[in-house]
Amino acid sequence: MVNALRVMWRITRLNFRAQLEYRAEFLMMIAIGAIWQVSVIVFATVLLTRFSGMGGWASADVLLIAAMRMLAHGLFVLFLGRMHALAYRVQEGVIDAYLLRPMPVHRQVQLSFFPTNAIGDLTVAVGLFAGALARSRHDWTAGQVAFLIAGVLGGMLVEAALFTAMGCAALRYPASNYWSQWLEELLGTFGSYPLNVLPKALSWLLTFGLPLAFVAYFPAGVLTGHSSTLGVPVWLAEVSPLIGLGLYLLSRLLWSWSLKHYTGVNG
Amino acid sequence: MSAVPSTWRTARITPLGELLAPPRIAGAVVQLTIQIVLVTALWRGLYSGTGGQSTAGLTREQAVSYAVLAVLATRLRELDRYSGRDTVIQHMHFGTIVYWFLRPLSPQRYYALRALGDQLYGLAWAVVGYAVCLAAGVIQPPVSGGAAAAFALSLLLGQWILYYIMLLIDQLCFWTLRNSAAMLILIFAQNLLSGVYAPLWYFPDWFVTLSSFLPFQATLNVPLSVYVGRIPLADVAPQLGLQAGWVALLALLTRLVWSRAARRVVSQGG
Repeated sequence: MVNALRVMWRITRLNFRAQLEYRAEFLMMIAIGAIWQVSVIVFATVLLTRFSGMGGWASADVLLIAAMRMLAHGLFVLFLGRMHALAYRVQEGVIDAYLLRPMPVHRQVQLSFFPTNAIGDLTVAVGLFAGALARSRHDWTAGQVAFLIAGVLGGMLVEAALFTAMGCAALRYPASNYWSQWLEELLGTFGSYPLNVLPKALSWLLTFGLPLAFVAYFPAGVLTGHSSTLGVPVWLAEVSPLIGLGLYLLSRLLWSWSLKHYTGVNG
Repeated sequence: MSAVPSTWRTARITPLGELLAPPRIAGAVVQLTIQIVLVTALWRGLYSGTGGQSTAGLTREQAVSYAVLAVLATRLRELDRYSGRDTVIQHMHFGTIVYWFLRPLSPQRYYALRALGDQLYGLAWAVVGYAVCLAAGVIQPPVSGGAAAAFALSLLLGQWILYYIMLLIDQLCFWTLRNSAAMLILIFAQNLLSGVYAPLWYFPDWFVTLSSFLPFQATLNVPLSVYVGRIPLADVAPQLGLQAGWVALLALLTRLVWSRAARRVVSQGG
């Protein structure tokens, strides 16, 4: 275990140095993380100033959804986000080589490169998070702080579960990359706002069809006292961090199954 | 081989690849449908709280039409040349960029023809989506015949500007070898500053002023605002002039960069 951690740390350090090889690309990658997140903030601010209160949520509460999602996303990109490029790794035949090495394939995929853009993602996310907490009028108890942390980690796991499932598809279908990009945009656009702005059928779809509501909407709803208007039983919103964990574990089972059925680009 | 078939053969590479992969077509249909349904629901939901009042000069119908057309327009942008290993960054990585300069077809022409085929294919998607949305009453027809004509011209100029911007980012590879970060920055900047995320009219004045100095708003915000009638027909001419100005400026710039780039490529040992 200690040895595995040491190896992971050394590979990560090497990957970081490899990213520094192309200086302009390195700096721009940090910028891209920041720009993407700032665009979400600008969009949210614009909507909040033009349309007073979204779906009955005060602007500080909406900012908490956006902040929790952004932080969850930043942590996902940093720790579990390498599934995006998997379709290309399959195309290049790299997975076949991973299978021969004495390290789990999933871990090798995660250690394939350092996600420089996560630095920008997390910097802006922490800023927005601090801003949202400062604007929040709630008195934070130790239990709520613990739920907040669990909510962010649960959100990270929901996103990781979705992209691990996309990675499973990528092992078999090269075109799945199309879906990954689209899914990321969808999570960014609709993951940061109260879903009760949408008609019931659509918010239901984004809860049980695609579990986007569990990323930040439900945990933030519980914390800001909107539990009764979330459109689901209160207990379901309260266990959303556990649902994140459950979904991630399921996605890892799917990954193991998919890897067993992997045939490679040469059939 | 005459010029027309070679032009046609180059332009159809990406569309042919797409048509031969039914899952991609099905995927595009599902994604576009979900995106349009969600965007429509979001804007209608936001306007339901305003009591039917227009906001920033846009009524509910105008806002929905603008947002749905912006979603359809994203189909025109970038198609997947990555899977076919035909992006500039990949050619740089594998060293195959040299073949672009050794063929009877010049790299400028090859790049332009590929982009033309991609954008025409994307346009077919956008037109079908537009027809369906119009028939379903999701979007309104153009405010007048004149606005429709001005919209078509403005959209053409907007796509032309977008082509040159994408080309510039690809040309960056000749110096930096990599451009994936720059490409992502460009896509986000284009989304934000051209009105894909939200019509630019909702943004604060300083933001609108800032974006008026950049080419992005000319790619989408101008044609869509003309379409929904937010820019009246009488004010269209200066906007079209500005778009044409960007086209001319970017054409000169990319031409200059192509000639500089050619000097950096070494073939067969120099």
